Amino acid sequence: MRQIVIAILGLALLGGALAQQVRIMGYGGQDPAIKVRLLDEVIGASLEAEGITFTYEPLEGDYNAALFNALSAGTAGDIFYIPVETAPGIIATGKVLPLDGLIDTNAFIDSLVEAYTVDGTVYGIAKDFNTLAIHYNIDLFEEAGVEVPNAEDTWESFADKLRGVAALDADVYGACFPAGFDRFGAFAFATGWQTFDATGASNLLDPDFVEAVTWYTDLVREGVAIQPSDIGQGWTGGCFATDNVAVAIEGAWILGFLRNEAPNLQFGTTFMPIGPSGERGNFLYTVAYGVNVDSPHRDAALRVLEALTSPEAQQWVLEQGLAIPSRTELADNPFFLEDTPEAVANAVVFAGADDGNVLGFQFGTIGTDWMTPVNDALVAIMTGQSSVEAALTEAQRDLDALIQRAR
Amino acid sequence: MRAATVAPTTAEQRAFEHWQARRRWARAGLVYALMLGFAIIFVGPLLFATISSLRTDPLAYPPTLAIPQLQPGNWTAAARLGQAGARDRWFGGFAPGAVVPFEIAYFVPDGIEVIEPEVVVPRRRPGAGLGAVLAIEFAADYAEVYDLRRLPDVPMTVGDGDLTISGRRVAYAFEVRYLGEGPEIDRLPLDVTATVGMRYLESTLTASRLERRGRTASFDNITPGVLGYVLRNYVRTFNEVRSPATLQSLFLVWIGNSFTFAFFRIVVTLAIASMAGYALARLRFRGRGLIFMLVLFSQMVPLQVLFISNYLVLRDGIVTVGDFTLSSLWGYPGGMLNSLTGLIFVTALNAGAVFIMKQFFESIPREVEEAAMIDGASHWRRYWSVVMPMARPALGALTILTFQGAWNDFFWPFIVLTSPETIKTLPIGLLSFRNTYGAVGDWGLILAGAVMSAIPVIILFIVFQRYFLEGVSFGGGKE
Repeated sequence: MRQIVIAILGLALLGGALAQQVRIMGYGGQDPAIKVRLLDEVIGASLEAEGITFTYEPLEGDYNAALFNALSAGTAGDIFYIPVETAPGIIATGKVLPLDGLIDTNAFIDSLVEAYTVDGTVYGIAKDFNTLAIHYNIDLFEEAGVEVPNAEDTWESFADKLRGVAALDADVYGACFPAGFDRFGAFAFATGWQTFDATGASNLLDPDFVEAVTWYTDLVREGVAIQPSDIGQGWTGGCFATDNVAVAIEGAWILGFLRNEAPNLQFGTTFMPIGPSGERGNFLYTVAYGVNVDSPHRDAALRVLEALTSPEAQQWVLEQGLAIPSRTELADNPFFLEDTPEAVANAVVFAGADDGNVLGFQFGTIGTDWMTPVNDALVAIMTGQSSVEAALTEAQRDLDALIQRAR
Repeated sequence: MRAATVAPTTAEQRAFEHWQARRRWARAGLVYALMLGFAIIFVGPLLFATISSLRTDPLAYPPTLAIPQLQPGNWTAAARLGQAGARDRWFGGFAPGAVVPFEIAYFVPDGIEVIEPEVVVPRRRPGAGLGAVLAIEFAADYAEVYDLRRLPDVPMTVGDGDLTISGRRVAYAFEVRYLGEGPEIDRLPLDVTATVGMRYLESTLTASRLERRGRTASFDNITPGVLGYVLRNYVRTFNEVRSPATLQSLFLVWIGNSFTFAFFRIVVTLAIASMAGYALARLRFRGRGLIFMLVLFSQMVPLQVLFISNYLVLRDGIVTVGDFTLSSLWGYPGGMLNSLTGLIFVTALNAGAVFIMKQFFESIPREVEEAAMIDGASHWRRYWSVVMPMARPALGALTILTFQGAWNDFFWPFIVLTSPETIKTLPIGLLSFRNTYGAVGDWGLILAGAVMSAIPVIILFIVFQRYFLEGVSFGGGKE
């Protein structure tokens, strides 16, 4: 009996002591260390003054699966990351606190807020973001005597430049084009095509989409572009690091990889080429902080969310070269004006968020499964197993079935 | 039928026997070749992974087994350079007072102008892991390149047969010195950039990679020391994988957790399985058959069916009455998730182990126990002093199988141990490498970690092979 009393007392005391301990669940990788430094150097003092502290719990492996498990088991953190591609699904669980009236969303980039808005209600504040940009290998362009890509390039002039570099050597290609909508989609958007039309359907047989697929896959069939796996690489960055391709179409995440794998690579970064619509297309990849609706410390959690997305915190993260801020006011940060390749790349990626047809990397409640039929079609066309028309007709059929099931 | 009626001549006889012998050998040869083939198929990947784990870039394509880390010339150079850099021939470094001599040689075809290469100690920041986030010291801030001089040229030709290029070997020597006072830095990177046409041949230490289409020879660390060079990825696993808050080496903590988990799981499994096995084999009581069936049944139900209920039991601290949880009696008032105790608790009961022990006890002659019974021994006494000592082979086999199971267990640790990092076991910890290092193409740490995690099981297998086989036969036959 005494033990029971002690246990209950202990529990009560423990509960009191931990009242302001906010748990954050997010990605593994660098994020745990970034959070520790943010807490130590930037936001810890002001939070501590209010009696709040936080712990960071990285979810390793498949983040989305782990988060859904934690949400259903009731062990999810007070704050958790909401990846943009699964945001509609996570919000649909009803476990995310609506932030209207609790957090001022005006200071953040509109398209980022939009990606986390469902039926007019905001559920997440973007932590940082990425878009695609053209990173080019200066040595290869110089050797081939071809002008490096620039912001005025159209699809045609861009392809011509790639052809020029590809002619240099047998093992040099213009670009690595993966058979995946997660990169190709940006080109589809450059035609004015959208993932979902007004009726909520996806039309893969739209002439615009067909045009984009034809342009993208023709470059591969012509031998100017190549799939990464064909030269023993897992992704575009790998092709780029080994001097095999003239350009890599990736976000700012390629910078850390290049620092490790090709520290001497001379590269520059510019905007995506202008598509047939006269606009560029781009994806917005992002992740947001959301607050758990069941959180026992909701106010403290909101306070931590505010601190993590505060101008000071975002400026620190930017100046450390760790991520690109989601606040519009940081557009003028001196870091973006520096002359280093990394700073230029970050500035281009930042500006990509509202340049042309930019759509979130998002597929409604269907999630990333949406891409499977399209990716299969791209593989079939690139490897010559199927014509553009036949492959897209089949993809449309599979996709319709998928959307039907999801409803 | 000829053989039956007409006696074969000696010569024919001999030829026939010879043919038979050849056929026997051919058969044996085929079987051995097959077994050798299987062995290569199964051991090959392990060997390849082990060798790749030594490389700077394990994913380098095309894959090869001839790697600089296995060349003795590089070992002595690494030791010498480590000594010059920080008076440490094993792990190297770059300390005040260091003077590091270095040479690099190029092949220059006739007709190509030789221009002195540019030697730089770069400010190189890691792309992944803690190094990318925490503030670090750069060797570039303390190092200076001195005395770059051209050594005498040596004429040489490259290529073979019809296609040869004549030219000369152009070599340069220089020193990298530590200027003034400062901290000891663990690595000294170096970039040497030559003009187009000059081809890198060799250097004191083989270049980590050639970049810019062969123009730049890039070195991750020119003062590595032998171990720092050959086992670079292994050293990094211990040095770089640290808790961001306390800077404690996580890899060591995970190994410790794995051993603790395996040890207690063995103890608990042996105790429960031997007692249950003994009871089911020897004691006559009502419902014995039913209990045995239930034990077997629990083996038949897939883990996935039970795991949600077991998870909830752990999460809620077994039994909850109001604010009271049963697990608070042993110090876990808030449930037993994220504790090794919880993990041991949920994985302790193993129907397979009970079955092995029951089968073994049944194989021990009853007479042995009857003799003890006549001397007045109780059930407990008979179990503990008579049967258990005889069960040593079975317990040995069970220990090994349990250790192997616990050491490699992924599913339950993954479910139960999520936070903090210091509570994880080795397989779960290694998973975090994929996000941290795999994402930026740095697969060396993952391979090194995986190879190290395989070592205890390999040692165990080599030392206790016999018990493994017995373990299998206990489960199978009733002998």
